[in-house]
Amino acid sequence: MHVGDAFRRLVPPGSWVLFLFFLAGIWLAISPFAMTTQASGTHWITPTINNVAIGAIMMVVSLLGILGYMLFALRDLIREAQAKQDIERQAIELPANQ
Amino acid sequence: MLTTRLTLGKYTCGMVASLIIFLAGGWLILAPFALGYQPYGADWTTQTVNDFATGIPVAVVALASFALFFISLIGSLRAGGILVSRPRPQAPVEYQPHVTTPLASVTSQSDLDKTLATLAAALAADLTARRQAGGDQQSDQQVEQMMNRREA
Repeated sequence: MHVGDAFRRLVPPGSWVLFLFFLAGIWLAISPFAMTTQASGTHWITPTINNVAIGAIMMVVSLLGILGYMLFALRDLIREAQAKQDIERQAIELPANQ
Repeated sequence: MLTTRLTLGKYTCGMVASLIIFLAGGWLILAPFALGYQPYGADWTTQTVNDFATGIPVAVVALASFALFFISLIGSLRAGGILVSRPRPQAPVEYQPHVTTPLASVTSQSDLDKTLATLAAALAADLTARRQAGGDQQSDQQVEQMMNRREA
């Protein structure tokens, strides 16, 4: 298997969408300060707290989704490689046993 | 013996993450009214516009992401032979003199045979290439014997 194929199996199109959510979460968290709706040096107002909380949730959930998919896909790749090695070993050992 | 395990955890990860983010997008749309920082009847504040402009695309794209992971899950289940696509409805035939085997089982068996044949051919080509590189001339017969045994 080529590196490109393995990469496509580790990072499917859905993971790219999750990465977009990660960027959206960053924007949500910094938007009250970027749009100056939150005055600096004062207590956070309700919209600021809401946006920062939702942005943090989106960042964490999207990252966990990407990493979780990647770990499971990596485990599948390792299992497939082991199964292929087993077949090759059996093909080599079979004539020797005859 | 070769065993193939079908893992669904990766798809579940993606679908759960997409669902949570969809709910977050929905909350972003509702939050200005639920938390009371957007008064009713007044012009929308900057925070409300920002929450709407972010929440609606997030919710829509989260649904698309959920669909992508779900389609991948269905494809994986079909590749594993768990799901079999339904046979297309055909025009009713007035008279069928012969009793035929069910179309679904024939289709799935044919797909399985094709998949196994492709896998066997790829393995045989790989082994042949490796052994030819090493100068071993007996590999073809061994692989053929292996393939014959597997087919039997």
